Amino acid sequence: MPIKKKEEKVIEIKEERRKAQRDFEGLTNQLSSKNPTERRWAARDLAEYKEASSYLIEQLMKEKDITVREIIISSLLSIGDEIAISGLINCLKSDDAHLRNSAIEALKQIPEQVAPYIENLLHDKEPDVRIFTINILESLRHPKVVKWLIDVIENDENVNVCATALDLLVELGTEESIQAIKKVKERFKNEPYIQFASDIALRRIGEQ
Amino acid sequence: MKKILVVDDAATVRMYHKKILEDAGFEVEEAVNGLEALEKALLNDYDLYIVDINMPKLDGYSFVKKLRETENVRQSPVIMVTTEAEEKDMDKAFERGANFYFIKSVKPEEFSKYCKLLTGVVYE
Amino acid sequence: MNNRCTLKNEPEITITDDDFERFREFFYRKTGIMFDQSKRYFVDRRLIERIKATGNNSFKSYFIFLRLESSGKELQNLINALTINETYFFREEYQFQCMVNRKLPEIVLRKRRGDIIKIWSIPCSTGEEPYSVAIYLLEYWKDIDKWDIEIISSDIDTNALENAKKGIYSERSVQNLPKSIIQKYFRYLGNGYYQICEELRNSVEFTRVNIVDTNETKRYRGFDIVFCRNLLIYFDDLSRKIAVENLYDTMNPGGFICLGHSESMSRISPIFKIRKFPEAIVYQKPLEEDK
Repeated sequence: MPIKKKEEKVIEIKEERRKAQRDFEGLTNQLSSKNPTERRWAARDLAEYKEASSYLIEQLMKEKDITVREIIISSLLSIGDEIAISGLINCLKSDDAHLRNSAIEALKQIPEQVAPYIENLLHDKEPDVRIFTINILESLRHPKVVKWLIDVIENDENVNVCATALDLLVELGTEESIQAIKKVKERFKNEPYIQFASDIALRRIGEQ
Repeated sequence: MKKILVVDDAATVRMYHKKILEDAGFEVEEAVNGLEALEKALLNDYDLYIVDINMPKLDGYSFVKKLRETENVRQSPVIMVTTEAEEKDMDKAFERGANFYFIKSVKPEEFSKYCKLLTGVVYE
Repeated sequence: MNNRCTLKNEPEITITDDDFERFREFFYRKTGIMFDQSKRYFVDRRLIERIKATGNNSFKSYFIFLRLESSGKELQNLINALTINETYFFREEYQFQCMVNRKLPEIVLRKRRGDIIKIWSIPCSTGEEPYSVAIYLLEYWKDIDKWDIEIISSDIDTNALENAKKGIYSERSVQNLPKSIIQKYFRYLGNGYYQICEELRNSVEFTRVNIVDTNETKRYRGFDIVFCRNLLIYFDDLSRKIAVENLYDTMNPGGFICLGHSESMSRISPIFKIRKFPEAIVYQKPLEEDK
């Protein structure tokens, strides 16, 4: 019978994993190993250590390997302390598109911890940062989301920031957003996308 | 009919591009991020890809790079859709194999004109 | 006369076309499943059930609740209601065809004589999948006699595991199997029940695992093929990501992982390479060289 059950019941952890010290210091060293697999394992094991956030963030900024990055982010989310969160928020300003977008995705998972930062970020001087913040709101399960979106379309001067907020309101819009949507439609009369998105939002809310 | 894949995580933006392109006579399919776009590209032949930059899982730049590196996939033109601030990064996109770019939000006439051009729709 | 009968007029909950579109986009974004118009009746009915079950009286209020509920529990309930999850032998058979026709031939190219091939069925539920894998290999893989294969079947549910070990199945469960296979590998117990032969029951290993627990999955390694079908769709975004990263670590470079037929890595993680075979799209752990 070619299908065989392993004789020993206990599955041993391979020796090479025991070689490197799996304590905190050993792991942080491993985090900058030349071998991506070692970096990945270190990033994964560091999820258990609250003190690891700053090391993980530091490595995240330089890490080029997608699999290691993904694990670093998972670990940061598990730790979820202030350092982890503000580190991820800083990634919103990175030039690296993958890093930025992974940070946005990550931040969507931790609504309560991110909420205190949202309002400041929505007033950042960079329109792109404001856009990314609105992206975070997409899966953010927080009661203030609609209010934040209404604030944006009422007050933000950048058309693409408003467009991003409108896109979310197409899904989330309620009666209280109607006036604001009509106003932004008026404000950006010559922008076809704003007209398009506003009309859909209003129709979905039942206003047309 | 020429077939276009619109790749963007924002549903309303996809709807907007889809409407413009369908009105211009194209068949349009959608993907929410670069990964889904790659899967669809493996399963279907597209004449053109319209690709947003900021998407979860696999961003626009990474998608173009992987697309160009993948065999068994139709290597059609790629139009990136970018924000003003990212315009300066467009050579990154071209390096990876993109062919053209538009700044959000696209204006319907110009957009469909270029899509026709890039898919060889000469006269209609 | 105080016999006034007040008819409680429960307003009919309806799903408008706009509601459906709004919902459909959201669901597609989350799961990759796109409901077309033909599924209206199916979706509307189940949506209305969930709306009522959560104490809402309109789609609008339900949808806000769904989107903003921090535990994400309702979304999970909704996914459960909208997806059909039934296990039976040779379910999604094209995956097994792909295994013997494409994946295994590639895998053995990287193996030396005497190496084993390890396959993981997780979740194995009540065992239909791992036993299906075993039977398929024995019946349809031309190189079956050249290699030793280890099949590990895991699930978080110990009751399911106990049932899997017993290997007793209903008519319904075996209905996709050719008669010759039923005769060869099952014993008819009467009353419409069949039991998988002892030899197969003894050659599959059953273990309990929580795929989201990194400490548990750490103990597994060396897999060439992982079947993780119709499980991840029921997880929230973060758990899915972690589960997939955990599975990645248990696999050999070049190993393959298959999800259920309406599932996709596109909503989970970019760490696997997408491969297209004639039978299916599968995901592969990169070989060291071609990251």
